[in-house]
Formats: sequence, C-alpha cells, structure tokens
Amino acid sequence: MALLTLTVNGEPRSADVKPGTTLLEFLHDYLAMTGTKCGCEEGTCGACTVHLEGRAIRSCMVTAESCAGKPVTTIEGLAAGNRLHAVQQAFLSFEAFQCGFCTPGMIMEAAALLNDRKPLTDGRVRLYMEGHVCRCGAYNDIVKAVMSAAAELRKDAGNE
Amino acid sequence: MSERVTRREAMGVALLTLAAGPVRVRVGPDGTVTAYTAKVELGQGALTELTMAVAEELRVPVSRVRLVMGDTGQCPDDGGTWASLTTPEAVPLLRQAAAEQRGGAVTPARQWRVMGTAVKDLRGQAVVTGGQPYPSGLRMEGMLYGHVLRAPHYRARLVKAGAAPEGVRLLRDGEICGVVSSDPVAAKRAAGSVACEWEAIPFSVAPSDREALKSSFKATAVAPVENMSARYPPLLRRGRLDDAREHERQASSYFLPFITHVPLEPRAALAVWRGESVEIRSGCQAPFAVRAEVARALGIAEGNVRIQALGPGGAFGCKQRGEVETEAARLARLAGAPVLVQWSREEEFTCAYHRPAALVEIESTVSEGRLTGWLHKNFNAGAPGLMTPYDTPNISCEFHRTAVPVRQGSYRSLAAVANTFARESHVDEWAARLKADPLEFRMRNLADERLKAVLERLRGVRGGLACTIEKQARIGLRAEVEVKGVAVRVKRLVYVGDYGAIVNPLNLRKQIEGALVQGLGGALFEEVLFAGTEQKSRWMSGYRVPRFSDTPEIVVELIDRRAIASAGAGEAAIILVAPAIANAVFAASGRRLRDLPLAR
Repeated sequence: MALLTLTVNGEPRSADVKPGTTLLEFLHDYLAMTGTKCGCEEGTCGACTVHLEGRAIRSCMVTAESCAGKPVTTIEGLAAGNRLHAVQQAFLSFEAFQCGFCTPGMIMEAAALLNDRKPLTDGRVRLYMEGHVCRCGAYNDIVKAVMSAAAELRKDAGNE
Repeated sequence: MSERVTRREAMGVALLTLAAGPVRVRVGPDGTVTAYTAKVELGQGALTELTMAVAEELRVPVSRVRLVMGDTGQCPDDGGTWASLTTPEAVPLLRQAAAEQRGGAVTPARQWRVMGTAVKDLRGQAVVTGGQPYPSGLRMEGMLYGHVLRAPHYRARLVKAGAAPEGVRLLRDGEICGVVSSDPVAAKRAAGSVACEWEAIPFSVAPSDREALKSSFKATAVAPVENMSARYPPLLRRGRLDDAREHERQASSYFLPFITHVPLEPRAALAVWRGESVEIRSGCQAPFAVRAEVARALGIAEGNVRIQALGPGGAFGCKQRGEVETEAARLARLAGAPVLVQWSREEEFTCAYHRPAALVEIESTVSEGRLTGWLHKNFNAGAPGLMTPYDTPNISCEFHRTAVPVRQGSYRSLAAVANTFARESHVDEWAARLKADPLEFRMRNLADERLKAVLERLRGVRGGLACTIEKQARIGLRAEVEVKGVAVRVKRLVYVGDYGAIVNPLNLRKQIEGALVQGLGGALFEEVLFAGTEQKSRWMSGYRVPRFSDTPEIVVELIDRRAIASAGAGEAAIILVAPAIANAVFAASGRRLRDLPLAR
C-alpha cells in the first residue's frame, strides 16, 4: 500500500492504494466519487470515461499511479459551479438517458469531442461515440443531444 | 431494553397497517405528500409516472410528491417490477389512494392535467451530474468488500480452497466460500488469486449444440394442461383442429438460442446484520420476492429481512431473484460486519440466469385466404405471447416445459419474443405462398379493430411487417433492411402503438425506442456460447450488444385512446423486431430465416 495523490477536479485527492490500482478504482472505490461508473472492466463500454489532461480516456484501462501530475476531470467536476456544461444541459433537455448508468461516461466523451468545436454530422457523432454502450438503447436521443450541444457551443464561441 | 421498545413499536405499526390496509399516500401537516410503492425505478420511468399519478389526484405539483419505492420495511407489496405491470396495476392503486385522500373520485383520463403530459424524468439533474445513487456505489462505515470464489466451469463443486493473501479473510460455510477485506482492490484481486480445486459438473446436453438441444427439448417435454387463471395460460384452445384438416397446410419450426441481459451495472448488494435481522440494500426488481428468497436461504423469518431496492443501472428482467443479496447476507453473517458484494462483469455473464432458448413449431391451415387452423407449440421458452391475435376458428397454442441444461429466467417480454417471432414469420410465409400482400393478408385475418387501425397507419410504409396484441397494447412495426450476403443492416424502423390512454408520451416513446434497439441484438447477433463444461461468453468484448452504429432511424407513432385503460409499455415493442427484420430479409433476398440470430 502506498499513499497516492492525484489532482481531481482541481483538488489534490489522496488514498492509500494497492499497486496496480486503476484510475477507476482510485476514484470510485477509494475516493467514493461514484459518478464515474464501472461497466465492463476492459475498456469496451465507456461507462468509466473521464478526462485526463482534457482528453477522454477509459479510467479502467490506466493505473492511478500513471496519472500523477496530470489533471483528472470527472463528471462531478464538469459543471462550472451550478452552471451545467452544455453537454449536460443537452442530455437533460433531450432526456437522453433511461437508467442513467452510462450517462456520465457518454457526457465526458461528448464534452471532450466538442472541445475542438468543429462542425459535426450525425454520422461522425455515432463514430466517435461507438465505444460507449447504452443498454437501454437511448442512442438516437444521445446523438440529438450531442448535436444540439455542439450547436450551442459554436453559438457561444461566436459571441465571445 | 431500547431494542425491545422499538420492536413493540414496530409491531404496533404493523398491526395498524393490517387493520387499515397498507399506507400508500400520506399528507404531512406542511402539505408535503409521501407515497409508497414496492415498484422500483429501472430507467423505465416508474418513479416519474407514479409521482404524476399521485400529483394528478391530489391536485398538487409533481414537485410536492415524494415517492418511497422498493422498501419492504415501508411499502405495500405491489408485486415485482416486471411484466409491464406498473402502468396497468400500480398506477391505478396509487390514483385510487390519492383520490381517497382528496375525498373525491379518480379523475377520468379526459380531464387529466398532469397525467397524459410529457413530464420529464425526475432524476434528470442527478443523472447528468453523476449524483444519482446506484447499488454499486453503496458505502457505509465499517463496511467490508466481499467476493464469492467462482469456478471456471459453469457448474462445479468446490473441493478445496487455498489460503487468502494478507489483509483478506477467507470465509466459508456449507454453501458459500468467499473473501472479504476492508480494502476494495485487495478483496477483488484475492477473489481471482485464491488457489481452488473444483470438480466440474458436466452439462446434461451441450447448450450450444442446437440439434442436440432441440432433441432434448422434444424428449423431455411435458404437455400443458389448461389453466385459464394463470397470468400466462400455458394452453389456449378454441374450435377443433380436426375441422380444418382438409385445408391447405404449412408447417415450420423456429429456434432462438440462449441470450443474456448485460445490464450496464453489474449487480451489487450491501447487507447489514442487526441481531437476528438483516437489512439489505440492492438493485433488485422484486423486493418482496427477494425478501422471501433470502429468508428461506438463511433459515430466518421473512420479518427479519428488510430489502431496500435502489434503482439499478439496467435490469431488463435479470434482477428479479436474490442471488447477490443472499451472498451479501451470508458473507456479512460470517464476517460479523456489513458486507458489500459487487459482481464483476464476468460474474454477471456467468452466474446470472439467461433468457431461455426456444424451439417453436407451428402447423397451420388456410382456406380461401383465411387462417382456419393454428397449432403452435413452444418448447422451453414460456407462455407469454402465446395467444394468436388472428381470428382463427380452430387453435391450440401450447407451452411445453422441458429439461434445460442452464440457469434461465425472466427477460424483457420473455417468451413473447420467441412466440411472436415464430407466429409473425409463419404468417408472412403464408402471405408469400398465397402471393398476397403481407399487410392485406393480416388485415383479412384480423378482427380486432384497434390492431387493424395500427396496421392502417403502416400501409404504404416500406419494409418487413410484424404486428400483434401484447400486454393489452396493439402494436405494429415496419423494418427496412439492406442485405449483403449474410450481412443484414437495418436502415429504418417505423413503429405504431396503441397503448390506450397515454400516461406520459415522452416516456412512452423512449421505452418503445429502447425496446426496439435492445431487440436488434437478439434478432441479429446475440447468443450465449458454451463449450465443454464452460460458458464461453464471459465479457462484453466477446458478446456483442447493439451500439450507436447498429441503431437505425426510428419513427414512433402513438395512438392515444383516452377512453381505454393504459397498457404497460416497457416490453412489448421488443417482440416485433426479429420478425419484422426476418420478413424484410425474405422480401429483399428470398431467404427465409427461421433461426435467431439472423446475421450469424
């Protein structure tokens, strides 16, 4: 066991972890930050997606140790205070979820995808999100939400 | 002493409850409303729908109502959250209770102000911010993480268990051997590293050998006896099949393999013992049934078990029994501390029950374009969806129980998938043989005006057709496909549904779309595979479920009939996917596919 400190949502967070602990286990099991979900343990479902240095990664596929010194953002840290991220707002507006278990991972993936604010098509969204599973089958609503959030962000960028 | 007082108080409450019937709706002095139901929110919208029902009848905003769900310690037993029964059964119970509180009669659907509108999921804000609680996130002070040791074989006896690593305790009673630790990762790793000796129990028949399985089904089949009081009668008869024996005849058989649910959240349960009683929080669909199961397994009274069900991350029928709840309770008793058991993805695949495989044989007769005789035999899968919607004078629809080599159980719509796939394929085969339009052939053989109205809406829409009456709903689907060799791609689905009075149009559309997408998996590519003494499908990387790229454009049209009682809608749509696609593949390629998955 060794004390490991990571920067999560801008704050230093520490836990006494076993060697080989994944970033997902560090967040979900040791820190009880349960917004990040464990679905498949092998990087195929996307439920555990978080941002590492601004890029979407599968937190079940990296060791916590390897993330030292790199900022980690989880679903709990995506909103700016009470103001939801455009992707969160769009998932809410389009109600792009059913059981909600895949939703944090979907939102983190889409938020990273929209960072570059390039125009998206329905087909490109499906391609980028293909690594995420929604067993409730809300895929078409999710695509609509992501497209709407992209339009919203482009509008914001135009106003800046 | 204090405990004795508590128990007496509890008994007092229990007696009051018995005298007055279970409490369903309570209005506090400040006007806040609390309502109680054993139903569980599974993502199907039960929380929002039942809250709407109470708000409607008490004439208060939805935000004023707090719904307590799935707690055997507080809620009346409304049955499990299954079979699309929340809308037809629990909604009326809560409306009635709330209307009585108000001192009035239940509001007719034509005067609804809250029901019938698109109220959004009340969990929305929590879901998108990561704050929505799920069973796998359950934590409490002093809790240990537990895992049961598993064999590589599908069935096995534990001969010898090795030693647990440092910091982990190995616990064993007659029926269970597991590890617990205060460190979650240590417990998880130990479950895979304790050296164990297992004795494999072979399968009676190889579950993935289709011909062997079909022969076994036929050899062990037990013919049904009439029981019209059953929820799903196993034998439905009218007329005399002999009367139609001279007519033009057609016989075919259909097969569906074992498939599995793959809820995105593997199941979890947290058990806490207080003296002789155990409190368990989990994501089960049926808290009262699980309470009875746990009590039986542990040899204690049902009154000493409390189940609090927390909405799980997906269920689809797989969380109706108390496997993980029993394991958590056993390990917690052995450990003398609260224990959380969280199944791994591999356990979710290999320890849970699967949807039954099915063999369906249909033999039918036609005279002058009308179906005159219908003999439908379902082996193993079950009786749901057995009744034909067609106006056929002579029928015998039968569910034959069989011996089966794997654990099987409920699944969204269960056997209605197999029965409807077989029936709607078979009807399409008749249309092709008689060179009739599939829609016209169905129209000619239907008497139900509501189902005919559904089909009218699908006239002129492209694609393979399927329709039926399921759980009181009238439903129809067109599937447009592209066939290249054995590959089948679904391009567009157009669905029309008549579910009586629509309680929440937003949620209804979502349930239909979700069921259609889930149905694509079983129709096109899902199958649980076995070899030797093992189950080979153990991980999501080796078991394909529908993804973004599999999901076609979906158009849903709803017929709102305010004068007709609302039908449940979580399940029905899934049953039309396979036959509509199979019928579209036939139209596009001339190939009649009678075994699922279609694109294997």
